[in-house]
Formats: sequence, structure tokens, C-alpha cells
Amino acid sequence: MSRPPPPPPPPPPTTNKDQQRQNPSLQEINIKLIQSGEKERLKELLRERLLECGWIDEMKALCRAFTRKKGRNNVTVDDLVHVISPKGRASIPDSVKAKLLQRIRAFLASTAD
Amino acid sequence: MSSKINGHVSPQPCPHLLVFRSRNGPKPFRALQDCIRVKPPGGRAAIRREPTEVPRCGTCEESSRSRLYACVACAAVFCHAPLLHSHASDHSLSIPGHEIAVDVDRAELFCCACGDQVYDRDFDAAVVLAQTVNATATTSTSGSTAMQCSVAGSQPENLRKRRRVDYRPWEPDSGEHISRGNQSIPLLDAANASLVSSTQQPWGLRGLNNLGNTCFMNSILQALLHTPPLRNYFLGDRHNRYYCQQKNGAINGTKNSRLCLACDMDALFSAVFSGDRTPYSPAKFLYSWWQHAANLASYEQQDAHEFFISMLEGIHEKVEKDKRKFQSPGSGDCCIAHRVFSGILRSDVMCMVCGFTSTTYDPCVDISLDLEPNQGGSGKSSSAKSLNSFNVEADCMRPNQNCGISTLKGCLERFTRAEKLGSDQKLFCQKCQVRQESLKQMSIRKLPLVSCFHVKRFEHSSIRKMSRKVDRYLQFPFSLDMAPYLSSSILRSRFGNRIFPFDGDEQDASNDLSTEFELFAVVTHSGRLDAGHYVTYLRLSNQWYKCDDAWITQVNESIVRAAQGYMMFYVQKVLYYKESENQGTS
Repeated sequence: MSRPPPPPPPPPPTTNKDQQRQNPSLQEINIKLIQSGEKERLKELLRERLLECGWIDEMKALCRAFTRKKGRNNVTVDDLVHVISPKGRASIPDSVKAKLLQRIRAFLASTAD
Repeated sequence: MSSKINGHVSPQPCPHLLVFRSRNGPKPFRALQDCIRVKPPGGRAAIRREPTEVPRCGTCEESSRSRLYACVACAAVFCHAPLLHSHASDHSLSIPGHEIAVDVDRAELFCCACGDQVYDRDFDAAVVLAQTVNATATTSTSGSTAMQCSVAGSQPENLRKRRRVDYRPWEPDSGEHISRGNQSIPLLDAANASLVSSTQQPWGLRGLNNLGNTCFMNSILQALLHTPPLRNYFLGDRHNRYYCQQKNGAINGTKNSRLCLACDMDALFSAVFSGDRTPYSPAKFLYSWWQHAANLASYEQQDAHEFFISMLEGIHEKVEKDKRKFQSPGSGDCCIAHRVFSGILRSDVMCMVCGFTSTTYDPCVDISLDLEPNQGGSGKSSSAKSLNSFNVEADCMRPNQNCGISTLKGCLERFTRAEKLGSDQKLFCQKCQVRQESLKQMSIRKLPLVSCFHVKRFEHSSIRKMSRKVDRYLQFPFSLDMAPYLSSSILRSRFGNRIFPFDGDEQDASNDLSTEFELFAVVTHSGRLDAGHYVTYLRLSNQWYKCDDAWITQVNESIVRAAQGYMMFYVQKVLYYKESENQGTS
């Protein structure tokens, strides 16, 4: 069990004259994403990309293999999540990560008034 | 993926769910149903107290990193990340009776104490209803309205066909009188019986001579000769060639009236099942087929799949029982070819903007499958032997690519996958009244008696004016369950992981037949596109036989597994006879 890395410290305040606005926190970004509906669109994009590159099939296969080994009635959702999360996180293709980052950056740029 | 939740079996509730139900009445999730929100496109169901609610963990304010669950008892939202921390579990442990929660983004019930998903029939039905209403009514596009009407109205079709008929002892009719004449050959002859059993080969195995690049025809004929329903039809004298020709006035008639591919098939069956083991020359058949498919009449190598389709069409044309009566397409009432091979495909096209879904049904006699697009730059085909251990490639990976093998199941999964059509392929949405980007998904509405899968190995590019063959190996199973590719399964999977209420309208037309199939014939192609050879492997009495034009040899099943499949023939398991050791029938 490992803890997630702490969020990066907020960047130093800008030297801009009207710098009332700090760079938004993770929570603020998240709320913006949700309220604008962008998060849902990003999720759909992610689903599509992971499907295309076979990542979802890969995870399904891992789940099936694990379930076959343990027996169908001895497996819980939590077990499965536990088993596939490390491999899953590690095997996301770089191109997918890059694409999503690009989208998020573009979104932030467009909403930063 | 699809466990056997046929709509009848519900998973056993965990003890916490049972306690919860006993405390809160039989429908404890009624209040939750008001919070079901469905967002187009895609129509995923979520749980929100208000439509604009941003769910957040009550303990740590977390809203993005882990799954969020709302406690059904007190509506408090908590995070749940089994690897790290779970405030949902903490909550369930701290207050008894608060173990049951709902995943706010998936509308799926969860027991925090068991760490596993649980199901409630009424709640799941409510979610499905909410999602279905969002997708609005389905209608068919103009191309297949006749099809749609007939299929929609065909739900009692199976019942309508089963009229009760009084028993009458059999008496030969005029057609049968003819076949009892001296043209018929006894199947089991006292003189031949010992000869047949001594060769230890099953009935109906007879080589076909190559008449000049006709291996494309021989390979398909061998498969058809051993297609159980087709074989039974012809050997059961259901199309008697003498009677048919007499009926059509062949003696005085024009050439066309004599042309009947079904009669030629009947002759072929008689010849091949006669017990004579010397190779047979299907010259008459070839000549008849040339007359039917004049554009393909030459001594050049043809595509076996094209021949297969053309043959079925030929039989249909000549045998179609009553052209005036309205035949329900896909029902197979028209002729034996369609009775055996015809299934119904369902195509759903969903508008990505408004969620409106349009559904069409089309009959099909086979399914053509694409091989996976080439990846990793390597054009080499991988043989069945190169099984690498789990190997992650940077950018592209598939579970089977880790082993280097494409599978038939993978192709079918891809065939029934929801596919986003490109922005250059926008389809007209009836609700939006403009062309919109769409999501398309295929599924099988009705399974045929015999499923023929055609692997698209020949690529013809009109742009580059060239054709090429894809040699990549495709693994295929000997037993195949088609259940995951049925419309009912595909539709179910759109609603997430839950009990699917048994919806009468979506009843597959063939749900009284099983979905399990057995492989009985494989047509393989070896060599290049312009210089290649077709060979068929047949499975009889659980033995495999290689039919290479005139040469028939018994082979080990490993040879078949390693072969490069081009067309695979599967028959419904209930129609496939697994023989005992005794020979004599096939």
C-alpha cells in the first residue's frame, strides 16, 4: 500500500500587476471541468482511446485470469481493482497521456479569463 | 465479460444487503431512483442529488482521485480507493446498517463491508428505464423499413410456424415414387458394406478433381457437402433432381429451365455419398455455375468466398418456393440456402449530439471480419508457437498481441464494438435534422443454423490499384459460444454492470436454440494472391480430414489449428453429431 505523492506546491505568485488570481488548485480545476461538462467529454475520449489501443481488453483479460484462478465466487470488485491497478496505471500508452494533457491544457487556457 | 445473467438469474445478495432490505422494506432504493441522471451522448447513468451537484468525499473533500460512493442510508458521499484509503469503508464500519452504497458515477450498488458489487432488481430496472427513455424511440431508416416491419412483427413468428398437424402414416407422393425407381442407389449395399467399413473412412469423403484452378470451388463444395443441415436436406431427398427437372419441363424446355444449381447439388451429394472413393469431377456443377455467374466464368482462379455467395444466390433463385408470398427476410423460408445460412444483423447508430438512436435489421448469410490493423511496424505473421510472456509495448498493445496472436473471438469483439464514425462519415440524425457525428454498433439479432465467418485476407485498393493478401495467423476455437455477440448481450453491456430486466421486445428470434456452435469445416488459403491454393479441413466424427482437391487424408487437429483460416464454418451444437466409434453414418 503506498500513498499517492503529495500534490506539487503551488507555483510562486506571478509578478503581474493584477495578480489577484493565483493559479487554480486541483480542486478548482476539477470543479471547472465538471461544471463545464468537459470532464465527461474527457472521460469519453479516454474510454475511446483506451479501447482502441487494447488497454481495456488487456484489463479484462487480467480480470478473467484472476477470476479463473481464485474462482468466480471468491472474487470481489475490490480484489480486481487491487490486482489490475498497478499494471493498469503503468501500461497507459504515452500517446494517450499526452493527448489528455493537451486537452486539459487547452481547456484551462480557454477558460483562464 | 458476460456472466450468465440471462435476465432470469439474479446474483445472490450478500448478508448486509439482506439485512438492509429487511430493515427498509422490499424496495429500499426507491428514493435513490429519483437521483438517476442520464447524460447524452452515450447515456451513462449517474447518481446526483441535483443535476449540477459535484460529489465530494465528506471526510477528505476528495472529488477527483478515487471512486465516490453515496451511502444509501444517509446519502453521505465518501471516497473509496481500496489501495489507499477508503472513507466509505470507514463510514460503513462506524455505523451499522450503512454498509450499502451506490457508485455515484456508475449507478451501481456496492457493499462497503464486502468490498463487492451487489444487485437489486428494481433499482437496476429503474436505471435501465432511465437510460432507455433518454435514447428515445428507435426507428429504422428508409433502407430497411420492410425488414424492420417484418422483424418487429415477427416476434410471434416462431409460434405462428408451429401449427399442429395430425399424424398420418407416410405414403410416397409422386416425387418420391420417382426416386424409388431405378435411379436411386442404395446407401448401404450388402456388397459394399464390408468395403466401406474396411477403409475406416466416414461416409461422404470423396476427393474432387481440379478442373483447372477450380480449387476455390472444390474447397467450398467440400464444406457444403458436410454442412449438417444442408447434407441432411439433400440426402433426405428434399430436392429431387429428377422430379425438379420433370416439373420444369426440362425435356422440352429452354436451357434456362434446366439450370438449377440445387439439382446439381443433389447430383453432387449422390455422387459423393455413393460409397465410391475414386475422385469425382464436378464438371456439370462447374458448367451450371458458369451459366449462373457468367462474369466469373473462366479458368482463372476465383475467390472462394465470392463463389460461396454466388452459389447461395444461385440456389435461392431457382429454389425460392413462392415468389408471390411475402417472405420475411432472414427467416430462411425462401430456400434451403437461406434456411441454413441466413441470420439477421442489427445495426444501431447513435447521434453523438442528442443521443437519438436509429436501429436497422439486415439479413446476412455470413460475417466478414477484418483482421487487426498491423501494429508495431512488423509485417511478419506470428505462428502459434511464438507465445511470449506478458510483454508491454509502449504505444500499442492488445492482450493477444502479447502472445502475438489474433483470435476469431477478438475479431468478433471488434465487429460488435461501438465504433465512432469519423467526422467525414457523418450520418443524418432524424432528431437533429442534420448530419452529425455518430456512434455505430453491430450485433447479431438472430443466429443462423450455420455461421460462416469470412476473414478479409484480400485487400483491394482501388486508389493504389493494387491488391494484397494478409497472411497474419488467426486463431479460431473448435467450440464457439456466440452469446456475447447477440443483440441482447450487446444492449445489456451498454447499461453497465447490473441485472438486465428481461425485455420481451428484444427477445432474440432464435432464443429457443442454443448459442453454442461447433466448428466443422475450415477453408484455408496458402500462397500469394495471384498464385494460391485452397484446401478444406473437415471435422467428421471428431477426426480431421484434409481435402486437397482429389486427395483426402486424415490429419491431426494441431495441423488444423495452425492453418491459415480463410473461412470458418460453425454449426449449432444441437445439430452437430459427435459420433461414437461405430462407423456407418455421418
